[in-house]
Amino acid sequence: MLTSLKSWTRPDSFHAVLSERSVRWYNACLRITRDADLAADAVQEALLKAWDRRDEFRGDSELDTWIHRIALNAAIDLMRRRRPQAEDELDADLLLAAPHRSPHNEYVQQAMGRDLITAMQRLTAMERQTFVLKHVEGWRLEEIAESLQTNANNTKQALFRAVRKLRVDLDVWRGES
Amino acid sequence: MISDDDLLLYYYRDGLDATERARIATALAEQPELAQRLHRLVAQLDTAADMPDVPVPAHIQRRWQVALTTRARPRPSFRWQALAATVAVLAILATVWVSMRPAPERIANEPSQPAASAPETVAYERGLRWHLASTEQRLANLESAQPDERAQLIDAIIEQNRMYALAAERANEPQLARVLRAFAPILESLADERRESAASDIAQLSFELRIMQARLKAEAEPSSTAQPIAL
Repeated sequence: MLTSLKSWTRPDSFHAVLSERSVRWYNACLRITRDADLAADAVQEALLKAWDRRDEFRGDSELDTWIHRIALNAAIDLMRRRRPQAEDELDADLLLAAPHRSPHNEYVQQAMGRDLITAMQRLTAMERQTFVLKHVEGWRLEEIAESLQTNANNTKQALFRAVRKLRVDLDVWRGES
Repeated sequence: MISDDDLLLYYYRDGLDATERARIATALAEQPELAQRLHRLVAQLDTAADMPDVPVPAHIQRRWQVALTTRARPRPSFRWQALAATVAVLAILATVWVSMRPAPERIANEPSQPAASAPETVAYERGLRWHLASTEQRLANLESAQPDERAQLIDAIIEQNRMYALAAERANEPQLARVLRAFAPILESLADERRESAASDIAQLSFELRIMQARLKAEAEPSSTAQPIAL
């Protein structure tokens, strides 16, 4: 009984959930970082952190959900550790400097759609992260604030700014199509 | 008048107190145009968030599997590899600290000068050269290593490589960071010692490491006419 209850402590449970759900983790991290390498690093960090802390996992949520959340926090952490200046350069890289783009990043850009990329491009890192965590991931404002190391009011304002910018850009896009 | 911001918070069921929520709920029930506004707003945001998933590249998926397998492998209670890695990291930190500490006469002579980044750069480059050399040395040791030791060596190289890729990124060396990251899938594939191409992968990696070391060395020599690192 105990063995079956603690099945998540076995490597095969982790490998199984990795095979099934890693696309979801990776894409969630990609929306946060907008960088394929950082997203891959975030998932790997999350996976290893989850394995190291598997005894803390109580099993009251899915292993997938638990790792997903750790991955998002890892993605935010990687973004924070990256210098803001470097991030700006990366953003410019992603859209403009084709020779510096990796084939995978190029593929990501095509798949996500240039219009959405452009709309997201106008958001600051905090606005983008707040919007993704709130609208896509359904985190509470307090949880987002804690993860982004700010307060709930700043988070709320970042969300409102993101929404306003996205609506303007998507209205333009719709008007042209 | 209910703002779009408040409508959005109502939709999220977050960030509004009970009185505000009740006020908006009543207004939505009484005003169809307000309900339409909320519907349009949510539809717009759903469009913005609707980014199709991209597949995970096979080498990334393999990298995660190898990393997990390596981490989940039972380890001896005391690891010389871990001790060696800790000593190496402490040595780097000590070098960085010593390099960044301003000399007393500089403090006296240059009170208003902003902190120079040169010592940090020197320490970073010194650390990078050490990383490349130690990686080359570890790769050379792989062939004679026992399976457990081999896995630990590869584990240590990968972790160290990741650390220097991040450091390169922070040092505003995106190309170098990309090159170091490109080593990762090859290093991870080396964990499978049964692979026939393992020896040629090691040879190729060692070759590239020697090239990088030569370029760094050429750049460090003051009389050199070498170009900036072009990886």
